[in-house]
Amino acid sequence: MNPTTLFAIPMTLFSGTMLTMLSSHWLLIWAGLEMNMLALIPILMKKTNPRSTEATTKYFLTQTTASMLLMMAILINMTSSGQWTITNMDNPSATSLATLALIMKLGLSPFHFWIPEVTQGIPLTSGMILLTWQKLAPISIMFQLAPLLNPYIILTSTALSILVGGWGGLNQTQLRKIMAYSSISHMGWTTAILMYSPSTMILNLSIYILLTLTTFSMLTIYANHTISSLALLWNKNPLIALAISLTLLSLGGLPPLTGFLPKWIIIQEMMKNNSIITPLFMTIAALLNLYFYMRLIYSTTLTMLPTTNNIKTKWRFESTKQTLLLPTLLILSTFLLPLAPITPILN
Amino acid sequence: MMYFTFLLSVIFVISFMGFSSKPSPIYGGVGLLVSGGVGCSIVVSLGGSFLGLMVFLVYLGGMMVVFGYTTAMAIEEYPEAWGSNVVVLGALLLGLTMELFVVLWMVCYDEVEVVISFKSMGYWVVFEGEGTGYFHGDSTGVAALYSYGCWLVVVAGWSLFMGVVIVIEVTRGG
Repeated sequence: MNPTTLFAIPMTLFSGTMLTMLSSHWLLIWAGLEMNMLALIPILMKKTNPRSTEATTKYFLTQTTASMLLMMAILINMTSSGQWTITNMDNPSATSLATLALIMKLGLSPFHFWIPEVTQGIPLTSGMILLTWQKLAPISIMFQLAPLLNPYIILTSTALSILVGGWGGLNQTQLRKIMAYSSISHMGWTTAILMYSPSTMILNLSIYILLTLTTFSMLTIYANHTISSLALLWNKNPLIALAISLTLLSLGGLPPLTGFLPKWIIIQEMMKNNSIITPLFMTIAALLNLYFYMRLIYSTTLTMLPTTNNIKTKWRFESTKQTLLLPTLLILSTFLLPLAPITPILN
Repeated sequence: MMYFTFLLSVIFVISFMGFSSKPSPIYGGVGLLVSGGVGCSIVVSLGGSFLGLMVFLVYLGGMMVVFGYTTAMAIEEYPEAWGSNVVVLGALLLGLTMELFVVLWMVCYDEVEVVISFKSMGYWVVFEGEGTGYFHGDSTGVAALYSYGCWLVVVAGWSLFMGVVIVIEVTRGG
């Protein structure tokens, strides 16, 4: 691709999210979301084959529908209140529509069906950008709209997402689909405390992005797409095998790793607000997530596939793939739990 | 001609149905043309004469023309029109029957309340719009766009430019 285009497309992606996050006018927020979607399309279609074309089309259709719903909410807000600021949305039909639109953008249940199919059809780095950067803009809108969004819709989709993310990932052997279902589940956890404490939502999102970036970076080194290719990782690079195991344990939310911190804070915040049964079921459903991460760890580090006795160790080549800041990401995604005492700043 | 806006809205919706029923792209273009023209007329009848003419010129005269030419290059030999599919024809007839039914109900009972209450044609008569006052609202809006709203022009221009670039990149297969 032309180097100018190769620079302009990530620049548009970045400025789209920045526009959404920094605007107070609804029209510019919507324009930022559209720029995001448009700029991601050639990134999703980096490798031109029918699979990625289909994935890109599905992504485009669902995101456009969500943008149109959001535009409808904006126009209803405009006709009923006569102003375009984001923080004054009084009309209940406008807020319900906006809630539905943002849920579609994030890929929460029951609008989650596009995420596994789109993530599976695109290269690993594109999937990384799809599951991390694209969550920033809708979450920033939800953060600003937090007291106004319809709590029934939010809680329903939260509960459904955590369940769907857990059960959906159980039957998968392709790693990109597993990461997609993991994303659905984590987005469910993220929106769970939207009504009680939006700052905790930002904490959950940041740690989720950290963990997902780490996982995807390690998967791109040897282009692991399936569980069976992970099972051969111990021979190529035992250090990465160990690191993937630790990161997956952190994704599952086990102490003493970083992934435990957001779940702990979320459960604490929900219980402070007298909600006991919901976090109970959320935690039980998170065990489903942990099960398929454990299956990956089992194949990667805890077992060896049946081989002959004198198996040759592979030659350790230098990695040709660019892994950005992998040691930093690894340390951050496993050892951040001792920073838990700073969480009172979220209130 | 008090019901002009209402009539135009009806034609608007029908032509939307016309291209949403997915005929061949050339006939979809016809639906877009009619709905675009009628939409412009609605804007003009509400007082925004400048903006209506702008949309007519740019949307219909520019983009629809380009769409029509490119579709004509890519069309197949026997394009499927609306009347060819039995389901589409049935849906069209059903829609027309429903419209007739609603009009008869309106004439008999003077009020139709299905989702929204539609009491009289008086709601569709426009007594004030953008064209009243010392300055026309639409021309003032355009002037404001280029003075106070320069950031919006930059954002819109960049988005449209990137849209074209991305479409060309994707079509090229690069």
